[in-house]
Amino acid sequence: MSMADLAPSLPADTARTGGLARLAVAATVALLFAGGGFLLHAEQQGQVIALLAAFVAVFALAEKVPVGRRIVGLCRAHPGTVNLTAALSILAIAAALREEHYTLLMMATVALFATAAAGLTLQMAFAGVPNFAGAAFFAVGAYVAALLGHTGIPHLLVLLIAGLAAAVLGLVLLLPVLRTRGHYAALVTIAFGLLLRAFLEVNDVLGGPQGMKVKSFSLFGLDFSRVTEIGPYDVSFYLPYALASCALFALAFFLVRRLETSFVGVALDAVRSDEVAASVFGLSIARWKATAFLLGNAMIGVAGALYGMMNGFVNPNSANFGDSLIMLSILVLGGLGNLWGAVVAAVVILVIPEKLQAIQEFRLIIFALLVIAILRFRPSGLMPRAVRDFSALVKGGSR
Amino acid sequence: MSPLLACSGLTMRFGGLTALDALDISVGKGETIGLVGPNGSGKTTFFNVLTGLYKPSAGAVQLEAQDLFARSAQEIGRAGVARTFQRSRLMLDQTVFDNIALGALGRLDLSLLSALVLRGRFRRQLSELVERATALTRRFNPQIAANLFKPAGSFTMIDRRRIEICRALVGAPRLLLLDEPSAGMTHEETRALMDDLLAFREEMPDLAIVLVEHEMDVIRRISDRCIVLNFGKKIFEGPFDALIADREVQTAYLGGAQ
Repeated sequence: MSMADLAPSLPADTARTGGLARLAVAATVALLFAGGGFLLHAEQQGQVIALLAAFVAVFALAEKVPVGRRIVGLCRAHPGTVNLTAALSILAIAAALREEHYTLLMMATVALFATAAAGLTLQMAFAGVPNFAGAAFFAVGAYVAALLGHTGIPHLLVLLIAGLAAAVLGLVLLLPVLRTRGHYAALVTIAFGLLLRAFLEVNDVLGGPQGMKVKSFSLFGLDFSRVTEIGPYDVSFYLPYALASCALFALAFFLVRRLETSFVGVALDAVRSDEVAASVFGLSIARWKATAFLLGNAMIGVAGALYGMMNGFVNPNSANFGDSLIMLSILVLGGLGNLWGAVVAAVVILVIPEKLQAIQEFRLIIFALLVIAILRFRPSGLMPRAVRDFSALVKGGSR
Repeated sequence: MSPLLACSGLTMRFGGLTALDALDISVGKGETIGLVGPNGSGKTTFFNVLTGLYKPSAGAVQLEAQDLFARSAQEIGRAGVARTFQRSRLMLDQTVFDNIALGALGRLDLSLLSALVLRGRFRRQLSELVERATALTRRFNPQIAANLFKPAGSFTMIDRRRIEICRALVGAPRLLLLDEPSAGMTHEETRALMDDLLAFREEMPDLAIVLVEHEMDVIRRISDRCIVLNFGKKIFEGPFDALIADREVQTAYLGGAQ
């Protein structure tokens, strides 16, 4: 009797996981990334507009056409194939565009903002803790990189310390955030962001309004800013940054996905969905909100540190409210809780306005219309989060 | 024999309003209590106090040897008190399994380490829990068991109620509080749900149940003993037949015109 309601869901034929299904998934993902690569590289307005049209068409088809829905279902059933193809595609794009400074800079920026969005995902999409100060924690990471970058501490450790620093600074906010809810908690974080920026502006040790220089990232003695060739190939010094940023995103992706597909993920979802039910069944609301908030800020801080090192400077303006809103927009536009969605949204929000430079002020109108259109037709984001399905883990498990 | 749950002088005041007035209620192991009373008589408040959502103003609450007076909801939940809610509190966009898992989370390994790195332990617990949830839901409706990883929102009202009961049972509680399980259901559905519950009851003879219900038929079928509340006071305690005949209960329900 209840079966009628259950019908339109994931494809039931996941048992028939032939190589064909995986191939279709891999082809779809590769095609999407190829489109993204072309968009990153495109310079003529015509190309950009055509790619945008293709992009809109793809997302419309995925929803409206049976084949599209089927492919989406297959992609959800084969996350391993999706992730592997995505990683290879990113490497291929990086290799193809190895000499393009600006394109690689954008690629790294997308990856680092997507990493920050992964932190926000833990906080907002899982635990339901609002954070309107993402850029502030991002800037904290960059300032730590500025302070410690030239001290001889290995830079990987500096990234880690930057994450810790952001988490520790988040502690200041923890009590008011735990004691308030919804809009009020959001206001607390907005106030924190404004406060931090004002503090950075008047603080001479941290360079005041001018900010500070940040030493470029070096990994095991390899200074990224001096890389000009790899083997026989001339490359941009942004190439190692783009790769490192993507690696950082991969790590954040791995951590978030692991948490999501564990009892911790169930606990966080319960705390967000229904605090009363969660506490009646023995969960500590404060513990889980605090865990998500601190871990999330740590991720944002690490991403901010690498971003600062790539740019070579950081100033109080990095902590502005607008950038915090950009991070949130990435989260919402992509679909709360879906990290691939965050990547696509980061491309939409960070790359498209740059690509439309030539039409000057009209670009913001086109950009705004695009965002409104996306949320009009896909109110839960470009790629809504899928329900957590543990069945794959149980079948392949230790039974 | 000492009772499983013993409340004495339990009082809950909201400002000037006394919602629970010096209640003495005890529930024995394996006993089923029907808790009735007009709207606003304090039945749900009693549940909310018992489960730690409200802090009682005075009195004593004892679950066997454990003092539960004014403890946090978390502590009480872990002590083995589980409940359902009058208005369904399922997470509708999450799977049936996620909803049921919530009922067991208090006893599972929730460390970040085993979530992130040492997944073996997590996977073992997961497999066990999936088996338990499957067995439990199958008893109520095999369709639920077959669709454990579908969103709870895609099920009918009666199935959602069943899922809520399974969520309360999965942690093997000692005391189960059911808040109007028949609310919003037809007579047939209510009867089916009660059949399931009675069948389940036989297999867990030690589980004590307190049931808030307006449906007198349900109370008659399922309860060993009835307690009637009115304005936060206990006005009756005894078997169902005596309840029906009781003058004061009739007055409380139907008004005291004559």
